[in-house]
Amino acid sequence: MDGRADTFETLLAACAGGDRMALRRIFDAEAGRLIAVAQRIVRRRELAEEVVQEAFIRIWTHAHQYDSSQGSARGWIYAIVRNRALNLVRDGRRETVIEDVEAVQEQESSDAIMAAWHRLDRNSRLYGCLEALDEKKKRGILMAYVGGYSHGEIAGRLSLPLGTTKSWIRRGLTALRECMA
Amino acid sequence: MRFARNDIPDIADDYVLGLLETAQAEEVEAALPHDAQLKAAVAASRERFLPLDTAAEPVATDTLLWQRIETALPAQPGPGARPKPAPANDNPGAKAGHGWRTTAIAAMAASVLLVAGLAASLMRTVDPVVVAVLLNEAGEVQAVVEDFGNENATVRLLADFEVPSDKTIEVWTLPSKDTGPVSLGLLDGIRSARLAGPALPRPKDNQLYEITLEQAGGSPTGRPTGPILAKGYAQLPR
Repeated sequence: MDGRADTFETLLAACAGGDRMALRRIFDAEAGRLIAVAQRIVRRRELAEEVVQEAFIRIWTHAHQYDSSQGSARGWIYAIVRNRALNLVRDGRRETVIEDVEAVQEQESSDAIMAAWHRLDRNSRLYGCLEALDEKKKRGILMAYVGGYSHGEIAGRLSLPLGTTKSWIRRGLTALRECMA
Repeated sequence: MRFARNDIPDIADDYVLGLLETAQAEEVEAALPHDAQLKAAVAASRERFLPLDTAAEPVATDTLLWQRIETALPAQPGPGARPKPAPANDNPGAKAGHGWRTTAIAAMAASVLLVAGLAASLMRTVDPVVVAVLLNEAGEVQAVVEDFGNENATVRLLADFEVPSDKTIEVWTLPSKDTGPVSLGLLDGIRSARLAGPALPRPKDNQLYEITLEQAGGSPTGRPTGPILAKGYAQLPR
């Protein structure tokens, strides 16, 4: 894993130096997964590809700003994709889908969130610490991180008042930090 | 803005999960570069949740997506980048304009000193209209061109070049995009030289000069066709 992290760091440095093959290698290694991550948030495949396309250009233009104080290079790359996807749904583009399609996508999104949970390594600390939370806290955190839902959207889907939802998620996140510390 | 220290872990988690309003997220992004504690908290939060992303099942990608990305990539700028002129090279293999990442600040500083020194030394004789310091792709000073604007220019080589026996170094300038690159002449061997080029408009500030490796006798097309050894932009001696 360390060798891999080093590789992404090296590839980012090469991107900053103008090496397009380095960006291509990041694309080959991660694009399929990054599209999947973006699609969990923006729902539609073509929007997810748009997000990843913009993200790769940003990775290219901002590679010189990366340093290890910002965490792993791989995490930095994923954060760029996540931020672009979140910006897109915050701009309201997710809400433009017609209603019956929305119902289908809602189910698919719920499935995608559970799939992310089930694919998580059972031996990882994240799995163990999320598993230790109440079901609703765990669910709320996964809906936010994996599905890109806002507090309001989570409250609606969990049928909880907004204030209650916020404090549940807050407490869940605090417990998760303590558990993983 | 500066966030209360106690709130930082919560803010970092909310930011990473995407739970902040757009305006709040922008405040976090603005504060990140200056707030080491916030930066560390965001980094730690990202790493905590990253396994949910890296465990995602990859979807199939097609090369069209890569092609769209690649065509949209700008050339890498760098600190103190100058505007790039149109590439003055017909050889696609030479990839003019690509990879000519703006040079290290140290190299630029060295160039400025060099120009200043040259300009000072030239005060004693005839002043060139412009001086161009030519750098290689790594940003190292390779040569200096002084263009006197009277069909005379000198090239001083400041690095060792490997020139095969069937090749020659040719000096070029780009008086304007309309004119395209114009040869100032060939170097006889690998040494500094005085060139008698064609009559050209008076050289301008920021005019491009470059040296390329061409076949013996000079470029067959009248345009640069070989690899660029070094290039740089003219500056007016002050």
